[in-house]
Amino acid sequence: MSPDLASLQRRLVDLVGAHHVDAAPESTVPFAVDGRVPALTIRPGTQDEVASVVSACAAEGAALVPWGGGTAMGTGNPPERVDLVVRLDRLDRVVEFDPDNLCATVEAGLPLARLQKLAAGKKVLLPLDPPEGDRVTLGGLVAANLSGPRRLQHGTIRDWVLGLRVVLPDGERIHCGGRVIKNVTGYDMNKLFIRSFGTLGIVTEVTVKLLPMPAVQATVMGLFPELSAAASVVEEVLGSFLLPEALDLLDPGALDLLTPRLGTAGGFAVVAGFAGSREIVARQVRDLEAMISVRGGASRRFQEADSTETWDAVTNLFQALPQEPFRVLCTLAVPIGRTAGMMASVRAQAAAKGLWAAVSAHAGSGIVRVAFRPEDGCSGDGAVPGLTEALEVLRGEAAAVGGSLVIQEAPRRLKERVDAWGRPGSAFSTMRRIKAEFDPQRLCSPGRFLGGI
Amino acid sequence: MAQRVLVEALRQVVGEANVLNAPVHLQLYQYDAYLEERRPDAVVFVHSTEEVAAVIKVCHAQGVPFLPRGGGTNLSGGTIPFRGGVVIEMIRMNQLLEVDPVNLRARVQPGMFNLELGNALAPLGYQFLPDPASQKAATLGGNVAENSGGPHCFKYGVTTNHVVGLTVVLPDGEIAEFGGVAPDGPGYDLTGVFVGSEGTFGICTEVVVRIVRQPEGVKTMLAIYDSIDRGSETVSAIVAAGMVPATLEMMDQLVIQAVEQSIHCGLPLDCATVLIIEVDGLKDDLEAQSEAIVRLCMEHGAREVRVAKDEGERALLWAGRRGAFGAVARLSPSYLVCDGTVPRTALPAVLKKVAEVGERYDLKIPNVFHAGDGNLHPLILFDWRNAEQKERVMKAGMEILALCVDLGGTISGEHGVGLEKMDALRLVLSEADIRSQLRVKRAFDPKDLANPGKIFPAPLEVAGVS
Repeated sequence: MSPDLASLQRRLVDLVGAHHVDAAPESTVPFAVDGRVPALTIRPGTQDEVASVVSACAAEGAALVPWGGGTAMGTGNPPERVDLVVRLDRLDRVVEFDPDNLCATVEAGLPLARLQKLAAGKKVLLPLDPPEGDRVTLGGLVAANLSGPRRLQHGTIRDWVLGLRVVLPDGERIHCGGRVIKNVTGYDMNKLFIRSFGTLGIVTEVTVKLLPMPAVQATVMGLFPELSAAASVVEEVLGSFLLPEALDLLDPGALDLLTPRLGTAGGFAVVAGFAGSREIVARQVRDLEAMISVRGGASRRFQEADSTETWDAVTNLFQALPQEPFRVLCTLAVPIGRTAGMMASVRAQAAAKGLWAAVSAHAGSGIVRVAFRPEDGCSGDGAVPGLTEALEVLRGEAAAVGGSLVIQEAPRRLKERVDAWGRPGSAFSTMRRIKAEFDPQRLCSPGRFLGGI
Repeated sequence: MAQRVLVEALRQVVGEANVLNAPVHLQLYQYDAYLEERRPDAVVFVHSTEEVAAVIKVCHAQGVPFLPRGGGTNLSGGTIPFRGGVVIEMIRMNQLLEVDPVNLRARVQPGMFNLELGNALAPLGYQFLPDPASQKAATLGGNVAENSGGPHCFKYGVTTNHVVGLTVVLPDGEIAEFGGVAPDGPGYDLTGVFVGSEGTFGICTEVVVRIVRQPEGVKTMLAIYDSIDRGSETVSAIVAAGMVPATLEMMDQLVIQAVEQSIHCGLPLDCATVLIIEVDGLKDDLEAQSEAIVRLCMEHGAREVRVAKDEGERALLWAGRRGAFGAVARLSPSYLVCDGTVPRTALPAVLKKVAEVGERYDLKIPNVFHAGDGNLHPLILFDWRNAEQKERVMKAGMEILALCVDLGGTISGEHGVGLEKMDALRLVLSEADIRSQLRVKRAFDPKDLANPGKIFPAPLEVAGVS
């Protein structure tokens, strides 16, 4: 039975006001999810309103997709249907900022950058650095478990969430965790909603731990003609006492993209970020420069604001890529020691299939980020079959070592050929039962997640 | 009759020698480190994932409850077979299967003791960070089931931050892999959901953990105070100064006296509290950090600060804290360990209120706490032979949990809900919260066979309560 959207719209207008419910194409087309344009967009202003909206959808059998900053909306498979996009941009209040206890509670639609700005005033921070930090919201960070280079030392949002408030698919409001660092009261429900991609409800509030801001930061970049030399620096750092916050590897494609901002060109780079007291940052910079120099590499050093700028450029490297005729972004996750090898495999696949590729890896964490584009002069459509094969080969290689390949962004015609997540494993039957318990009507982001969840 | 059929079926799958059902044996498995006792119908020793699966299939087919048991150190009754059934003894699955420094991972069986893993990694220069005080006798499977903490949580997090993969036998006997050596596996984070589920989602038979290099240097300090408030103020001052020590541990006077009598580690008997502070990391700034900390301690009224000069002195400073629970056993035949947490700045307030509770109920309550993360362990002393006193203890314990919740905290930091705190769960969780958790339970265990009767209180009878 398809939902009566006209009746739903009237109901929603009653709940949040006509001003915040929209059916006009100029308000719905920009919120298409993989080409599926919602019939309505809605902007609830409070967490209670989110609950009422979700209840109304449940009663009407309407499918909804939550939308924060929109930075991860390309991830996953095209949803089966989208009747409503629930925009969370009005949920941007800071509920409680408690620097003395190193924690903050904010509504899910608050952009990370605004939390960081507030925190910086008290010399604390949330040490996470996903791409598009100015746009990404706390709710989005949670739903997609986004991360950046600093996950090497600081982990992902999974390691920083203390509590969540969630509206379940039937409209019921629940609270998970709390605001204390250690908490084993009942199940760790936070983990269920982190990286659930809006399939189990809508996260409306997030409580995170914070960290005192480091006194000093610095970045060292080592440039090498060969991947093997850059990779051996990574290996030595990981086996040493050094404690970099971030340790990335960049291939020539990635370095080309950085040319306008950092003046790099060609070769492979290892980039390490250090933070802490002056003594330990100085010592680590020194040690790393020695490791680079002994292998014949060239070092560049970035301090303070330049260091921040460098990481901003590295993290957001793919965002500058033109979207026409198309671009494909994907992430390979492999055991840490396989990172450099996976980078080499990606390059080999790109070369074999005549594709342009840029590869940037969080080399101490086993994360390889890849951007593919058709080579110049190629129409695009012709590149799809080669790209499909390349993705399948790389997914197979990752799976052989227990890893995965996830498509972050791709044109619809590619997503129709390659599953965004890959094949589910032995844990899938439990995942499917969880989905069925929480969302028996399949109304929350249906079909976007692993195995059609 | 049913028990005979069960025992026969279990013998078929693991062999006669691995099944215990004599009353004298079952009696040994009816308790853990909490205060209740329930006798199981059988105890089974297992040696492999396949054996665990076979045993659970028998339980599933016969509708018999089961639960895993490791070191039996659980403080909340998590390992007590509340509804009888089969205790699956994991202690023989104690192998370190693989240490993989290149990928910074190790694969271990759940029956291995936490400290054994530490000892195996140390010569290679690596460590597994979660280190509950019971680490000599607590198994990794138990750490996973309870999401154990330990003194290093303030800087390094708890068990869940260091477990990346699990092999799990589900309550229907099927084997599933959650997570693994590679990060960010697609799908729900079942590893994260399983850690801390207190044996109610099935049994993990292999654990993939994150290992890290041992720090280049460590500095351990012990500050002695005449006022417990001054000690807590120092903790806040250290954090406010932007430092993140690996540990910030405190003990009060009663604990210090007990510890000193049993371990003789040189603590003054007349002081109000000691604060153990450890900083670790690269050696270049440890001296400067420890000097700054010593200065802060003195500014906040410390009587004396001792800085360990070598590993031997460090061990001595730690000996008191590590032996605290054991030493307190000298003070009375039994004690109830509370496990509340509060936001760190509420520690002084909560300690005062705990003392008031002790006076009101005429009970002695020594205190050990993880001051950095706001997790306190008031130890309510009593004599288990005195039923009236035990009743007072249970009431006092419940009041302490309630006041932790009032101050923005929760009822369990690291010991689990188990049987002990089921009735306190509603202090923290709404009916909707509880219903949502039960949905997860049903997804894993629709027949309610995995460690049943734990965590969740009976449903409210009154309609319309939420």
